[in-house]
Amino acid sequence: MISRRALELATAILTGGFGVAVVVQSLDNGIGWSSEGVESGTFPFLTGIIIIAGSLYNLARGIVPAGTLANVPIAITSIELRRLAGLFLPAAIFVAVIPLLGMYVASAVYIFAVLAVPEHQSVLRSAATAAATALALYVVFERMFQVSLPHGALAAALGF
Amino acid sequence: MDNLSELLHGFSIAVTVPHLVLMAVGVLLGILVGVLPGLGAPNGVSLLLPLTFGMQPVSAIILLSSMYWGALFGGSVTSILFNIPGEPSSVATTFDGYPMARDGRPTTALATAFGSAAFGALVGVILITFLASWVAQVALAFGPPEYFAVYFLAFASFVGMGGAAPIKTVVALAIGFAIAAIGIDTVSGSVRLTMGIDELVKGVNFVVAVMGLFGIGELLVAVEEEFHARAVSSRIDWAEVFRAVVRLPRHGVALLRSAAIGCWMGITPGGPTAASFMSYGIARRFSRRGRYFGTGEVEGIISPETADHAAGTSALLPMLSLGIPGSATAAVMMGGLMIWGLNPGPMLFVDQKDFVWGLIASMYVGNIVAVALVLLTVPVFAALMRIPFVVIAPLIVIICVVGAYSVSNSYLDVVMMLGFGIVGYLFKKLFYPLAPLVLAIVIGDKAEDAFRQSMLMSKGSLGIFFANKLVTCLVIAGIALLLLPLVLQLARPFRKSTSPTAEAPAQEKVII
Amino acid sequence: MRGTSLFLLSVSVAVLAANAPACAAWQPQKPIEFVATAGPGGGTDNLARAVQNVIAKHKLTDQPIVVVNKGGGSGAEGYVYGKASAGDPYKVIFGTSNAWQQPLVSKVAFNYTDLTPIAAMAQDEFLLWVKQDAPYKTAGDYLKAAASGQFKMGGAQSKDTDEVLTRMIEKVGHVKLTYIPFKSGAEAAVQLAGGHIDSHVNNPSESLGQWRGGTQRPLCVFSPKRLPEGPKITATEGWSDVPTCVEQGLDIKQYEQPRTVWLPGKVTPEQAAYYVDLMKKVQATPEWKDYIEKTSQVDTFLTGAEFDKFIKQDLEHVKQVASEQGWLVK
Repeated sequence: MISRRALELATAILTGGFGVAVVVQSLDNGIGWSSEGVESGTFPFLTGIIIIAGSLYNLARGIVPAGTLANVPIAITSIELRRLAGLFLPAAIFVAVIPLLGMYVASAVYIFAVLAVPEHQSVLRSAATAAATALALYVVFERMFQVSLPHGALAAALGF
Repeated sequence: MDNLSELLHGFSIAVTVPHLVLMAVGVLLGILVGVLPGLGAPNGVSLLLPLTFGMQPVSAIILLSSMYWGALFGGSVTSILFNIPGEPSSVATTFDGYPMARDGRPTTALATAFGSAAFGALVGVILITFLASWVAQVALAFGPPEYFAVYFLAFASFVGMGGAAPIKTVVALAIGFAIAAIGIDTVSGSVRLTMGIDELVKGVNFVVAVMGLFGIGELLVAVEEEFHARAVSSRIDWAEVFRAVVRLPRHGVALLRSAAIGCWMGITPGGPTAASFMSYGIARRFSRRGRYFGTGEVEGIISPETADHAAGTSALLPMLSLGIPGSATAAVMMGGLMIWGLNPGPMLFVDQKDFVWGLIASMYVGNIVAVALVLLTVPVFAALMRIPFVVIAPLIVIICVVGAYSVSNSYLDVVMMLGFGIVGYLFKKLFYPLAPLVLAIVIGDKAEDAFRQSMLMSKGSLGIFFANKLVTCLVIAGIALLLLPLVLQLARPFRKSTSPTAEAPAQEKVII
Repeated sequence: MRGTSLFLLSVSVAVLAANAPACAAWQPQKPIEFVATAGPGGGTDNLARAVQNVIAKHKLTDQPIVVVNKGGGSGAEGYVYGKASAGDPYKVIFGTSNAWQQPLVSKVAFNYTDLTPIAAMAQDEFLLWVKQDAPYKTAGDYLKAAASGQFKMGGAQSKDTDEVLTRMIEKVGHVKLTYIPFKSGAEAAVQLAGGHIDSHVNNPSESLGQWRGGTQRPLCVFSPKRLPEGPKITATEGWSDVPTCVEQGLDIKQYEQPRTVWLPGKVTPEQAAYYVDLMKKVQATPEWKDYIEKTSQVDTFLTGAEFDKFIKQDLEHVKQVASEQGWLVK
């Protein structure tokens, strides 16, 4: 279970952190006016400051107990969290194995796994969907439009 | 009317059986690349370009421009059905198109989008036909201060009107600007905000951000809310396609206004993206049903689509008459023109009359062919909504992954896309508006470049933004649009609660 | 049509035969990726696609060739990609002189030494352009008028070839110009036509249409001798009618931008030799000549020690300008 307040705080910290990174980096580029006009760090610096200020405000509103934002105590219930993870984790694993397996194999495995493992579809049907997806990707991207998708370390090792 | 007889001559070139066949082929291919995110009209053009070398230049350009129409239409399909805009200019279409499709009216949403898009494109073509030389002159009047003023106008018309918490809007907007600044800066040539990742020197591509923010983000919201359990009744309904198109003239004011905004932004260098956002923003502000925008309003689809296509079409004119490509596709087409030995520029209209007027005539015919074909495909696309969520969700993930990767063949983009997915989910969940973020990513760096170029020209004086009538008018219009909501609010008693929780039941309405 | 293709085929067979001993060593076994360090439609992209077309048409290799655009960060994206692909002989990077110029002036994560030079294949000339109705007829007049210090020079990118040339003009002509960087030469050309800037130093192909259309005209070319004769561009003039800048009292003898071809670092000499050879074959085709002519470039072929020497010279030169301007990265 994640409370609305925790989520607000986490997001404000996330955006604030990004703001700090922007400010720090833009100082490298120089802020202000030089012979080359407005220096390249000026605008990022200003946006960074705005992000930090805004995030601090959002953070404060999240903390203040009577804040209207905290009226909904629960943002994500545990059941919802499980559903989210059920979608996001396989997707993240899919992305993670692309450099290894390549786009085609990885997407086939991914489709097969998310369809067959929770038994949304029969094994046979899942396998067919998976194969069709990979094949369609190959034909459209690799063959028709000559966009080469990653083949992965495995394919390279096998000599493709 | 000299132009009229030239145009008739053009029709005699364009309306021949081989050319009509070429148009149909081009349009279908265009729809395909338009529908598949990650592929765009440039892919299609570079695929076809080698095939066209044996053809007459006019046949070749008819094929390529038909593909351009097809891709423009196809780009709206994924925006409406899956909330994944494949092009910056179709982001605004998702705001009302996707809610309508999700409500079980994908056919209506698609048919409305296509119908109004065709209207916008036709207005654009008419403009090209009759005002070509005037338009070229107008475009020349735009220097860096005027560019900046146009971008400012686009921001002003869109930002500050949503119901989201103002500070959250500001944060979202600023984050968008910061993301736009990543990479090499045009004005100084230095590397900015790469956060220690060498590859980020290329910047963050819009498609990568949008696939994550909209595509993956929406998927996460959807799986959490379990709306997919709701059966979407999308029967294959040809009559509804027809009805939706016939209903369009009822929104005549919106159509005309959006077409005007689109043409204006297409000629001035604002481009289709700024046009669609601006048109949506203005429609929301002036429509009687403005407060229902974001829940699947018809005018919320008509406005961005009409403006997008009107701008996309009239943007071809600067390419032909001045040699500045308005988009990546136009750039590839221009490369093609040069290979055929034609030089885009003012002389094209004099030297290559057959070619130019053949092309313009083909825009009329090509658009009609395109809208007919694309309306025929509506029920097919709408049927995609009937695929069970458990199957379509991983497919959408794959589409987003492949789309993000193929932008510049980069694995880093895929990882970033997934990261943007989490951000998109959090932002949606907590009522941070995504539209200002996206708008800033798309035109933020252009606005900054234009501002700094102006500062170089004026040696640091802001007076350059009031130096002539054109730029002064643009700036004042922008300021007026920015202040308008404030004035309206002061004039009226405070009606709406700004607290997002109070409006939680109508959340899509509030947060765009 | 059949006749020509038959003819071309025999030409290519002849070319192949002539070069047969050299290419026996290494042959590609996988599809080859051409990386253009420019967006679709840019000069470098056109070059990569032209080479791809020539190779495909003459079947100079059995492997398919795919063109990939990596033009982000003024081309840095493509070079960084090349650096990351060290040892991979299936990536060919097409660029310009920014491969060695960019690392001097901005903190990009590559240097040209991370790549294996293959060849410089074509040179783009630079000209000094002004608005059609500008009062000055020669570069000398232009410099006199520019002495007011109010002149704005446009160009593509910052601290890149265009700005380097602008700074050279300043120095040689004893004037001060305000340099306004745009995204591309085409954009600068439109800004000149609209009268927002006073001049730019575009390549011939970037402003060809504008010259024909009578919105701007070249004053002089930064080249030791006039450009080769070709078809007339306007009613009365062609490229060969443009005087050299030296003739007109602007003493910059030569300034050119080579189109360069690279492999990633750490490839074997045999692999590099294969591509040098491949590019030589490409250059011998009529289609290549056609491409060079249509884009108004100068055909050159520098490889090996010659190419190296060219890079070193150019680098020295740019370094000097950059240090005078205080551009060098610390």
